[in-house]
Amino acid sequence: MTVMQAIDRLYNERGVRARELRADGHKIIGYFCCFVPDEILAAFDLVPYRIQGSQSEPIDEADALLEPMACPFARSCFNLALKDRYDFLDGFVAPHSCDTIERMYHIWHSNKPTSFDHLINVPHMLGPSSDAFFRNELKYFISRLEDFTGKKLDESKLRDAIRLYNRRRALLREVYDLRRENPPRVSGTEITKLLVAGMGIPAAEHIGLVSAFIDEVKKRPRPAADGLPRIFLWGNEIDDIAFVSLVEECGAHVVMDDLCTGSRFFWQDVSETGDPLEALARRYLCTHCPRSLKPQAGNRREDLENRFGYIREFADGWKAAGAIFYIVRYCDTCELEGPDLKEYLTDLKLPVLMIEDDYSTSTIGQLRTRIQAFLEMIM
Amino acid sequence: MPFAGIDIGSTMTKVVITDEQEKILASHIGPTGAEHRHLALKVMDETIKKAGLSFDALDFIVATGYGRINVPFADKQITEITCHARGIRFLFPTARTIIDIGGQDSKGIKLDADGKVSNFVMNDKCAAGTGRFLEVISETLGIALTDMGALALSADGFVQISNMCTVFAEHEVTSRLAEGAGVAEIVAGLHEAIASRVVNMTRHLGIEKDVVVTGGGAKNQGLVKAIEGKVGFAVFTPPEPFITGALGAALVGKDFYDRGIRPAKERKKEEVTFFS
Amino acid sequence: MEQAQQAKTTAVKGTDTAREVRALVKNIYRSAHEAKANGQKVAYMMVASQYDEILRAMDVVPLPTENYAGLCAAKRDMDRFLLKAEADGYSQVLCSYARIGLGFDSLRKDLGHIPEGSPDGGMPVPDMMLGSSAVCDPRFKWYQAASRYLEVPTYGIDVVAPPPQDDLNAVRDYYIQYQRDQLKGLIGFLEAQTGKKMDPDRLWEAIRLGDKAWQLWYDIDRLRVAIPCPMPSQDHFSIMVAGHYYSGTQIAVDFYQKLYDEVKYKVDHKIGVIPDEKHRILYGGGLPPWHTLWIFNYFESFGAVFVIENVYRGYDPVEVPSHVKDPVDFLAWRAFLRFTRYHEKARARSGNPIVEKLLDMIADYKIDGVVFHACRSCRATTIGQTHMKSELGKYSDLPMMQLVSDMVDLRDYSEAQWKAQIGAFIEALEARGK
Repeated sequence: MTVMQAIDRLYNERGVRARELRADGHKIIGYFCCFVPDEILAAFDLVPYRIQGSQSEPIDEADALLEPMACPFARSCFNLALKDRYDFLDGFVAPHSCDTIERMYHIWHSNKPTSFDHLINVPHMLGPSSDAFFRNELKYFISRLEDFTGKKLDESKLRDAIRLYNRRRALLREVYDLRRENPPRVSGTEITKLLVAGMGIPAAEHIGLVSAFIDEVKKRPRPAADGLPRIFLWGNEIDDIAFVSLVEECGAHVVMDDLCTGSRFFWQDVSETGDPLEALARRYLCTHCPRSLKPQAGNRREDLENRFGYIREFADGWKAAGAIFYIVRYCDTCELEGPDLKEYLTDLKLPVLMIEDDYSTSTIGQLRTRIQAFLEMIM
Repeated sequence: MPFAGIDIGSTMTKVVITDEQEKILASHIGPTGAEHRHLALKVMDETIKKAGLSFDALDFIVATGYGRINVPFADKQITEITCHARGIRFLFPTARTIIDIGGQDSKGIKLDADGKVSNFVMNDKCAAGTGRFLEVISETLGIALTDMGALALSADGFVQISNMCTVFAEHEVTSRLAEGAGVAEIVAGLHEAIASRVVNMTRHLGIEKDVVVTGGGAKNQGLVKAIEGKVGFAVFTPPEPFITGALGAALVGKDFYDRGIRPAKERKKEEVTFFS
Repeated sequence: MEQAQQAKTTAVKGTDTAREVRALVKNIYRSAHEAKANGQKVAYMMVASQYDEILRAMDVVPLPTENYAGLCAAKRDMDRFLLKAEADGYSQVLCSYARIGLGFDSLRKDLGHIPEGSPDGGMPVPDMMLGSSAVCDPRFKWYQAASRYLEVPTYGIDVVAPPPQDDLNAVRDYYIQYQRDQLKGLIGFLEAQTGKKMDPDRLWEAIRLGDKAWQLWYDIDRLRVAIPCPMPSQDHFSIMVAGHYYSGTQIAVDFYQKLYDEVKYKVDHKIGVIPDEKHRILYGGGLPPWHTLWIFNYFESFGAVFVIENVYRGYDPVEVPSHVKDPVDFLAWRAFLRFTRYHEKARARSGNPIVEKLLDMIADYKIDGVVFHACRSCRATTIGQTHMKSELGKYSDLPMMQLVSDMVDLRDYSEAQWKAQIGAFIEALEARGK
C-alpha cells in the first residue's frame, strides 16, 4: 500500500484503525475540539480519537434530541453516535469549548453513555489564574482516568507522550512548510486527508504516515508556475475534503489555514521542561479558537494585532493572495470574530470571502459561484 | 471579430454576440428547458443566426450563469458576478454598485473606480429577496407575476410583512388578508420586504452612486421604486436587464482575446449538461 | 420588562407592583445618561455575571445591553438595529441581543449621536464594557466585537460552574479559587478605571442588600404556588428588572417588599390572575418572546395561566459557610453554591439539574402543562430543550410544547403557526382534564 492509499483508507473509513486497536485490547477515548490533551490519554495507554462528523450524511436521528439551531458539526457527530457509528469508543470526553459542545455533552451522556464520560471545563479567559484553574481541571481529569484505568499516572510516561506529540507537531509543520512553494507540490485536499487520517490513530502511527508523506511529496517534480491565487483558510471544522477541493477546483491553491482541524491543533509545542501539567495547561489554553477571549491590548488596532498577528504571519509567510472564511453556521463566537478578522485582513490588503455553511456536502455546490467570483476578483 | 457570451440561468438562457468594437451584433433569449435543460445550445444557434455568423466564426465564447459549468462549446466559464459587472459597467460607465435580482438568487456587487469587482455578496440559499419569493406569493394571491409590480405601485401605503421566510410570509399574507388588508397594500408590503432584504444585503459593501439594478427584478417597477426608497436616491436600470450577464460575458471574452488568450481546447457543439 | 404594551393588550389581572417596573426600566437608561453628565463611570454589563454588587460598591453605573435589546423588541423597534448589524457583516443567526447591541452601537457611531427616537432615550457611550462567560459565549465575545464601534476599555471575567457529574468535594476549592481570582481581576480593572479603591464595607453592604432582595424574590416565588395563581409569568418578565438590574441596591429590596406584600394579599384573598383558572402552565425555558409578550394573554383567554417560569430567575438562597470573612470570597462561594444547588439531586436521579428543578416546579406549583420557547439565535437557552422535554417525559406525563421564534427577531416568528400550535396544546390540556 502506498502512503496515499494508506491515508485514503484512514480518511475514507473513519474509525477503521481504532476498531482494529480495540479488537487488540486497547481502549479508545473519543473527544472533541482542540482542548483535550492527547498526551494525558496516551500516558494512560489509551488511544485518543478525535471525534468527527460527516458532511455527506444527512442529520436525521439527532434532530429528535438536539435542536436544529445548534452547530451542524456537533449535531452531525451526535447523529453518528446515535447510529452507533462510535460504538468503538470506550470513553467520551468533551471540553467546554463552546455553548453547543458543552450542552451536547450532557445530551450525549444521557443518550449514549460510555464507561468513561467526562467534561473538562475550559476557561474562556486567558491569564495566570486561568492557567492555574485549567491545570486543576486536568488534574481532576487525571484522577478520573486513574479511577477508570485502575492505575496511577506515570509522570515519565506523560513526559514521553509530550515528546511524542511534539514530534508529530514538528512533522506536521514540516508538511506545512512544503506548502510555501509556489505552486505547491501538495494540495490542500491532500493535507485535509492527511490530518483527518491522523485524528483516529495513535500519534506514533501518524508520525510514520506523515514522514512517508513528506518523502513522497519531496520526490514529486516541481510544477511550472500557474499563476493561480494562493488561499488562506480560516474557520472551524473542516473534516471533509469537499470544501477545500471545491476551492482548488475553482482554480486556486489552498496553502495555509487557521482551522481547528488544521494548524490550530498542532502549531504550538508543549514545553518539555518544568511541570508537565502546567505546560499542557498553558499550551492547550492558548489554542486559537474564537471561544477564548484574549485580554484587550491597547487601542483597537493594537488589540487586533495582538489577537490576529499570528494570522498575518501565516498569510505573509505562505504568500496568500486571499483569505476564505469557512464558518459552520450557528457558531456564535466565529460569527462575532469573523468581521473583526475581516477588518484586520482588509487593512492588510488581503481580500476576504466570508462563507457561512451548513457543514453539508449536499449544499456545498451552491458555494461554487461565490468562490469562483472571489477568485476572479483577486486574480 | 465576434465574441459570444452565454448566460445560462435555471429557466432562461441569454446569448449576446458583440464585435471587437464592443458593438452588440445580436442577442437572444430563450428557455433553458424546464425538464432536461438542453435548450441552451438552441438559444446559441438562434443568436448566431440572427447575427448572420457561423459557429466557427466566434473568436471567444464565455459561459456564465448557474449552468456555466458544463458548456462543451465555451472557451471559459466566468461567474455572473464578473460578467454582470463588466456588462453593467459597459452600459453605465459611472456605476459603482450593482443590485442583481434574479429568479433564484440576488447579488450585490461593488465596483472600484476602474470598474473592477472590489466586493460582492450573495443571498444565502433562501428564496427571500429573489424573484422566487414574489412568484410563490403571486401564486398564493392568484395574481400574475407580471402584474405584481404595477399593483404595488397602485397601493395606498403598504402593509408591513415582517417574515422573509417564504413559508412564514405566505402565512402572514393569508392572515393579513383575513384581517381585511388590501391586496395592493399587501403586494406593496412584499415589495418593500424584498427591497429591504436586498438593499440591506448590499449595505455590507457600502452603497455608492451610481446604483444599477439589473436581472429580472429590474423589470418590476414596483420593486425598483421600493429599492429607490431604501437607498434614498434614483437608481438606473438597463434597457434589457435580462441580458446584462450575457453581454458582460461576451465582453469578458473580448478582454481575454485582447490579452492574447485564445480558446484552449476544441469546442464541442454539444448540449449543455447541468450536473456533472 | 415592557409593561406599557402589555397593559394595553391585557385583559387579565397581574400585580399592580409589576406596573411600576416601567419606571425602573426608564430609570436605568436615565441614570446612565445622568451619570455620564456627572462624570460617573458607566459600564455595559451582562446580568447574572456575579459582579452586580461589586459595580454598586464601586459606584459604577450598570448599563445592561441585553435588557436594552429586549426593550427594543418590546417596543417593536428592533429592525433598524438588527439590519444595521447585519449590514455590518454579522450573521442573521448570531445572537439577536448581540445584533441589536452592535447595530445600536454602529448607528450611534455613524450618526455621532443616539439614533433618533431610540427606546427610553437610548444608551449613552459607556466608559467601559464588562463581559462575562456566565450563561453563554456571546456575552464576553460581543463586547470584544463592539470595540469596533467604541474604543473603551473592555474586560471579561470567567464565571465557572462544574458539570453535575463532578465530585464537588474534589473540585470545590479550585472552582472557588478561580472565581475569586476572576472577581479580583475585575476589581483591579475597576479600580484602575475609577481611580478609587474598592471599599470592602461597601461591598458587604451591597451584598447584604443583594441577598435581601433575592431572598424576598425567592419568597414571592414560593407564594406563587398558591391556587389561583396570584402573579403570572408576564409579571415575572417585568419584575426581574429589580433583581437583575438593581441588584445590591435598596431600590430592589423595597420593590420586592412591596411586591411580596401585594402577592401575599392576593394569595390570602384568593385573588387570581384570571377569574376561571383551568390550566396551570410552567414556562420551561428559553428567553421570553419580547416581541410578542401578549401571547401569554392569548393563553389566558383559554383559561391557561403561566404560574412559574425557568428563565431570568433569581437564584435560590444559599448558605455561604460562616468562615468566609472576605466579601470577594463570599461572592465566589455564593456563585459556586448557586450553580451547584441541584447537583446532588441530579446525581441521585435524572443526572440533569434543570430537569430536577423543573420536576420540583411541576410538583410544587401543580403544573398541568409545560411550554418551552426555542429562540433561533440563542444557543444557550435553547439547546437542550428538546432533550429536557424527553427527560421530563420519563417522570411526568404532562403535555409539553415547544414554540419556536426568537427573543427579539420578529422575522423568526409566525403568529399563525403559534396560534395553531397553542390551540392544539390547549386541546391536549383539556383532554387531560376530562
